[in-house]
Amino acid sequence: MAAEIKKIKNNFQKDLENAKNSGSLKKLKIKYLGRKSKISELFSNIPNLAKQERGYWGKELNILKNQISAAIEARLAEKNQQEERMDLTYPARLPDKGSSHILSSVTSDICLIFKELGFHIISGDEVEDEWHNFSALNIPLEHPSRDAFDTFYLDLSKKNQKSGDWLLRSHTSPSQIRMMQKLTPPLAVVSPGRVYRPDVVDATHSFMFYQIEGFAVGENLSFADLKGVLLHFAKQFFSQKVQLRFRPHFFPFTEPSAEVDVSCVICGGNQAEGEGRCSVCKGKGWLEILGCGMIHPNVLEACGIDSNKYQGFAFGMGVDRIVMQKYQINDIRLFYENDLNFLKQFPI
Amino acid sequence: MKFSLNFLKQFVEITIPAKELANKLTLAGLEIESLKKVSDDWVFDAEVTTNRYDWLSLLGVAQEAAAVLGKKVKINYPKIKIRPSLTDISVLVEDKKDCPYYLARVIEGIKVAPSPDWLKKLVVNCGMASVNNIVDITNYCMLKWGNPLHAFDRDKIEGDIRIRRAKEKEEFIGIDQKRRILSKENLIIADSKKTIALAGVMGAKNTEVTPSTENIFLEAAKFSPVTVRRSRRHLGLDTESSYRFERRVSEFFVSYASQEATDLIEELAKGKNPKFKEIGKKTEKQPKDIIIKLSEMKNYLGTDFKVGKVKKILESLNFKIKKATTDKIKVKPALSRLDIEREVDVYEEFARIYGYDRIKAKIPFLKKSQKNFSVLGKEEKFWEFKNKIRSFVSLSGFSEIITYSIENNQELSLFTEKRGPKLKNPLRRQEDSLRPVLLLGMVKAAKHNLNRGKSGLKFFEIADTYQEDKNSVKEKPFLSLGISGKKTKFFLLKGQVLEILNYLNITTVQFKESKKKSLGNALEVIVKGKVIGFLGKINKKEKGRLGLKEDLFISELDLRLLEKYKRDKKFKPFSRFPAVGRDISLAIEEKIKFKEVRKIIEEEGEYLVDLAVIDSYQSKELPKGYFAFTLRLFYQSKLKTLNSNEVDDYHNKIREKLDKKTGIILR
Repeated sequence: MAAEIKKIKNNFQKDLENAKNSGSLKKLKIKYLGRKSKISELFSNIPNLAKQERGYWGKELNILKNQISAAIEARLAEKNQQEERMDLTYPARLPDKGSSHILSSVTSDICLIFKELGFHIISGDEVEDEWHNFSALNIPLEHPSRDAFDTFYLDLSKKNQKSGDWLLRSHTSPSQIRMMQKLTPPLAVVSPGRVYRPDVVDATHSFMFYQIEGFAVGENLSFADLKGVLLHFAKQFFSQKVQLRFRPHFFPFTEPSAEVDVSCVICGGNQAEGEGRCSVCKGKGWLEILGCGMIHPNVLEACGIDSNKYQGFAFGMGVDRIVMQKYQINDIRLFYENDLNFLKQFPI
Repeated sequence: MKFSLNFLKQFVEITIPAKELANKLTLAGLEIESLKKVSDDWVFDAEVTTNRYDWLSLLGVAQEAAAVLGKKVKINYPKIKIRPSLTDISVLVEDKKDCPYYLARVIEGIKVAPSPDWLKKLVVNCGMASVNNIVDITNYCMLKWGNPLHAFDRDKIEGDIRIRRAKEKEEFIGIDQKRRILSKENLIIADSKKTIALAGVMGAKNTEVTPSTENIFLEAAKFSPVTVRRSRRHLGLDTESSYRFERRVSEFFVSYASQEATDLIEELAKGKNPKFKEIGKKTEKQPKDIIIKLSEMKNYLGTDFKVGKVKKILESLNFKIKKATTDKIKVKPALSRLDIEREVDVYEEFARIYGYDRIKAKIPFLKKSQKNFSVLGKEEKFWEFKNKIRSFVSLSGFSEIITYSIENNQELSLFTEKRGPKLKNPLRRQEDSLRPVLLLGMVKAAKHNLNRGKSGLKFFEIADTYQEDKNSVKEKPFLSLGISGKKTKFFLLKGQVLEILNYLNITTVQFKESKKKSLGNALEVIVKGKVIGFLGKINKKEKGRLGLKEDLFISELDLRLLEKYKRDKKFKPFSRFPAVGRDISLAIEEKIKFKEVRKIIEEEGEYLVDLAVIDSYQSKELPKGYFAFTLRLFYQSKLKTLNSNEVDDYHNKIREKLDKKTGIILR
């Protein structure tokens, strides 16, 4: 019996070494542990042994059987793992994904910040008339203040009798006028969209670009509220750390008026000169981001709103410019060229 | 406008560094865009807003500097001499509206020479070229008082002076030597024989002061801002003089400017016997008194301050406090501040000197009315709808593009019969119309990328289209989709259109074959009998003409109509039993449309729940004109698991029916 067991052990060792894959290991399992295996045969021989030896050889055979079974299982597990193994260093396969244009996603982000404060989001019309684009906004027809608003005029078959020539709006402010004419205060609206000015296209000019206009009219809205609303916007949009600087300026449609600078988002308002000069703010430490002010009473009155009872504020910003500053884009034409190498840099 | 610190120091004491002054002026609204040291002086370059004509003079800037520094301005007003009168030359003003006031002086025996150093430096540091003592003196006085002056060579003026509109096509050669053709838009100064100046804009070459000039005719005037503006715009000419006249010059200073120039010419150029003449009246009104209520100003600015502070600040701006109580102040703005018209203008004056930064920010609670909520809410919903479409389509693998709304009319007409409104003043002839369709922009974006080695493009745009409508322009927002690649991409586009409609739960869609300009293969998308858009393939001919390196498939859908037809989703119960797929390979003759095959299959389909084309190919083994594909049909019951035999039975019935149809070969 001892010799038989030893022989089985030796044979099994050789067979195990020769087993190349999980299939041959499964065959080994049948050969050594199956019903017709040598071990089974030896088990069935046990009753023929002397009574005092039966228990001993029974245990020996069981040990052998367990050893073989464990060895096969261990090798099988190892083989399985080997066979399933993949080369995980293969390059990734990217899903077929699209993108939102950076101008529309930022426009939407900005509008939603104002929505949180209670502003409604409205997209106004792009074709406007002189009255809504200029006169109602306190911009005289023949005045240097109009130079900032060079405008495309339309050649329609019928003249606009009521409100001056048709034109492509040169800013989003006419939608402010439309809303004030249509509705009574309290009012709070932001209005994003395309605007047009006949500027020759270069790295910083485009005849079409994006603006967001915002305004609120109520009984007690003040310059302090305007500051609060814009500060909230800047902190949400740029970062909690930014500061705003309100510089007195002139817009015909607001009084007092201000231009608003944000502490440079790149250098943090460092104002370094020479070598360390920030290329984005040119060492000034501030970047101009928008214009704003308290709505001029002439504008409220033009829209039929009692300027003794109501007051409010308005602001307007160029989305292109803000995106260029935030993402350090140096050429406005990139927005309208639609090169995939550009578009794909700003996924969804 | 450029100005020199040394010049400024003549009128106000400045002890702080130039950089600090620049910062203070900027924060008061006179933005210093750049600051440069030039030997012992500093050159400030300021952006002057269009309302502040007073800042186009050193005295105006000095007043501002005095206010921000808490100092007083010192001005020595020259003594005005109006005798003897100028009689040997008469001045006729054709239209007082163009020139309400004209002041002339003739100064004799002058000696033209280079300016003394101090004058040269001040003029140059204010951004002007030093020419000679006479020209430099006129510029010096303009810089100081804000009133442009012009010196003519008296002996080259023939006869009398006339201030009139130019004749059509009249020729003018200015001191810049350039020849210009005038029109009735231009106001001119003429003598009896010729034009000697473009009023308020530029003098003519023919009467220019030269080294041999002995007697000069010195002009100071008030020209109408609108007239000067039209005149210089008509010629595309912008000068220091027109810049000031257009923004308004002060009538109160015009006499001083002329007098000081005369005095300086006597002093520096040996001028003698100045004679005086004035035509017209100084008609300018004085600034009106304004009464402000402090409580209202506090409510407007959202901050608190004392009445004393307000008085102090307004006085520092040379405003006169005529009366003051604890809540009311009656104030008269400075003479050169005709831009101050209403209470809010005074609020701004106070606030900008007080400091915008001292007004504490606070976040308002924005009230809403029920009516506004419903009107604005509806429009806002549409904005949100466009955003939803944007994210859905981009998540489907499309990249959003933004293309110009202004296009070329002729190019547009290749793609559509609709006419976009034309521009009166296009920037370039290539861009002369608003677009009535989006697809040209799509084509251009595709071409740009295909030319740069990209392929298999998937683009979309959300933008307005424009069409003339009765007496105005109708703007309609559209979604455009574009896919480039093989012919079969048409069906990917069709699938994408269906996906969008499905997303909006618009289930009653029909596709109708149609022909569009430049799109031979096109389908109209119809919902409830209304065409909501189309999809199609750019024809071979246009593809070649446009230079597209791949086929391009384009769709446009009307977003207002999509929003109108969209429905809320409702849960639909689905079968809990497995679906079983069976394939059929078949070939069909070209003239048979797929929809006929589908019809035959669907007639039989008790358990048929879906069908898909899993392969399509052309093969030489097929009869000529046949096209082969493999369909996979899916069978499913709502009540039980279908066994293999049942499925085979249904499937075979369908096979038999297809087999009977001529033009269909089962494979």
